[in-house]
Amino acid sequence: MSLSELLSTSFVQHAFYAVTAVALAAGAVGYFVVLRRQAFAAHAIGHVGFAGAAGAVLLGLSPIVGLLVFCLGAGLLIGVGGASLDESDAVVGVTLTAALGLGVLFISLYSGYANATYSILFGQILGVTWDDVGLVAALSLGVLLVVSLSYRPLLFASVDAQSAAARGLSIRAMSLLFMALLAITTVVAIQIVGVLLVFSLLVAPAAAAEVLTSRPLHAVGIAMTLALASAWVGLFFGVWIGGPVSFWITALASSSYLLARLFDRTRVRHVRRSLA
Amino acid sequence: MRDGAVSLGGRTIWRRATFSVEPGTITAVLGPNASGKSTLLNLILGLVPLSEGTLRVFDQTPRRGNRRVGYMAQSRAADSTSTLTGRDYVGLGFDGPRFGWGRDKAKREVIRRALALTGTTSFGDQPLHSLSGGQRQRIALAHATVFSPDLLLLDEPLAALDLAAQAEIVDLINLVRDTTGAAIIVVAHDLNPLASIVNQVLWIARRQVRSGSVDEVVNEAVLSELYGHPIEIIVTPRGRRVIVGLEEEFAHPHPHPHPMGHVHDEEAHQHLSEVYEEEIT
Repeated sequence: MSLSELLSTSFVQHAFYAVTAVALAAGAVGYFVVLRRQAFAAHAIGHVGFAGAAGAVLLGLSPIVGLLVFCLGAGLLIGVGGASLDESDAVVGVTLTAALGLGVLFISLYSGYANATYSILFGQILGVTWDDVGLVAALSLGVLLVVSLSYRPLLFASVDAQSAAARGLSIRAMSLLFMALLAITTVVAIQIVGVLLVFSLLVAPAAAAEVLTSRPLHAVGIAMTLALASAWVGLFFGVWIGGPVSFWITALASSSYLLARLFDRTRVRHVRRSLA
Repeated sequence: MRDGAVSLGGRTIWRRATFSVEPGTITAVLGPNASGKSTLLNLILGLVPLSEGTLRVFDQTPRRGNRRVGYMAQSRAADSTSTLTGRDYVGLGFDGPRFGWGRDKAKREVIRRALALTGTTSFGDQPLHSLSGGQRQRIALAHATVFSPDLLLLDEPLAALDLAAQAEIVDLINLVRDTTGAAIIVVAHDLNPLASIVNQVLWIARRQVRSGSVDEVVNEAVLSELYGHPIEIIVTPRGRRVIVGLEEEFAHPHPHPHPMGHVHDEEAHQHLSEVYEEEIT
């Protein structure tokens, strides 16, 4: 099959729509993950999702159902228990290990699980069905809608919780809202890059954006653009050159962060020299 | 406030608080750590209820999100690492709590005025982490005054600042009072740097809140009770009064012979690190 034939096959088309939706949601939510220094929570929710997916398969359900239930549950738990950002590390850690333990149990109970386990851990974007695409797109659009509507209060509660509370915002409610958004984004991102590589779309583009600009709206835009570029180019490389798509996406997203840091260093040096 | 008392988690923080705050005046709130100074601000903000007594803010019961009350929090943890610009942070003071897509056209002008008032226009577009402590406090004041509040609450605005930056912020607080006519309540653990601009002092000691003028508070007995530690007031040759803490040994003298036969230099026993020269008029 030639490249153009490959690109027009239905599974590549499905993958294209799915990565587009997921990358946009992950870039936007990722900015707040980086701003709130909650990368560990994002990491934990992905792993909790693994237990959920394993449990769903054991019960004969679609993995995405288990992912949604477990990720949302963990998100709300972390949101309530760690509303003040200081306590969140311990809450996240305990949630993470408890869920991983459950995951191990579910796998041991279910024989013939190796294939499904692999796709949850590392993603299997080229296997998504049309129904999956619809669900992923709907969830991602929902996340984007809520983020755009609650952008200012989320930002306020993230950078200065005390003042935000004084102005009438509920910090606990904002924390819960954010964890719910993070949980749903994680679920859709797992469809593409898997539990272990969720960070590539959620954290790397946003971290690069935060290095490049100090204007929050610009940062959200840059994060979404970088995530989208990593996802599209990664998908294309996977089809054209071969190798897992999740590898390519991870490599590209991480490189964007590395390049941002290098660019920032040369810029700082340049400014210093011009001041001297 | 009349006969106010507050308890958190079943423990009484303080009681029998009666005071009022007039427009265009500055009130300092003094007291040891964890004596309930910030709690007083939280009451006014409507974040904590009174357990006894009444509190009226502009003739209403306190409510959260009242725009007539400006608030500058004590430790904005994100500050020193924040990549946000000062202008964006001040903007959050304007429409930060609002959900939705709409943009308020007045925002740009309101921010411009707040930056101009606090003298932060020149560095308003730099990220907060690149600013000095004093510059960040100025930005925080711009954030708190964005609605030109009639009552401005400042929680430890001088904490962790060097002497020059403290003097700068004190001048700015005075300027804000003069230009806006707001009533300002400043929580502080040290009266020295503020004494020249303060009209009223509230002090919390032994779970009671009392009020008085600076002259009534700057009194060795009152201050020693307030801090639970012996205090001495020194009058400098220029007529300034300076509050210093004493070491226990010196506060309760018990003569004992020195091995070398020297007499202790009294000056050496004072915590001179706590000393600031301040004019009290």
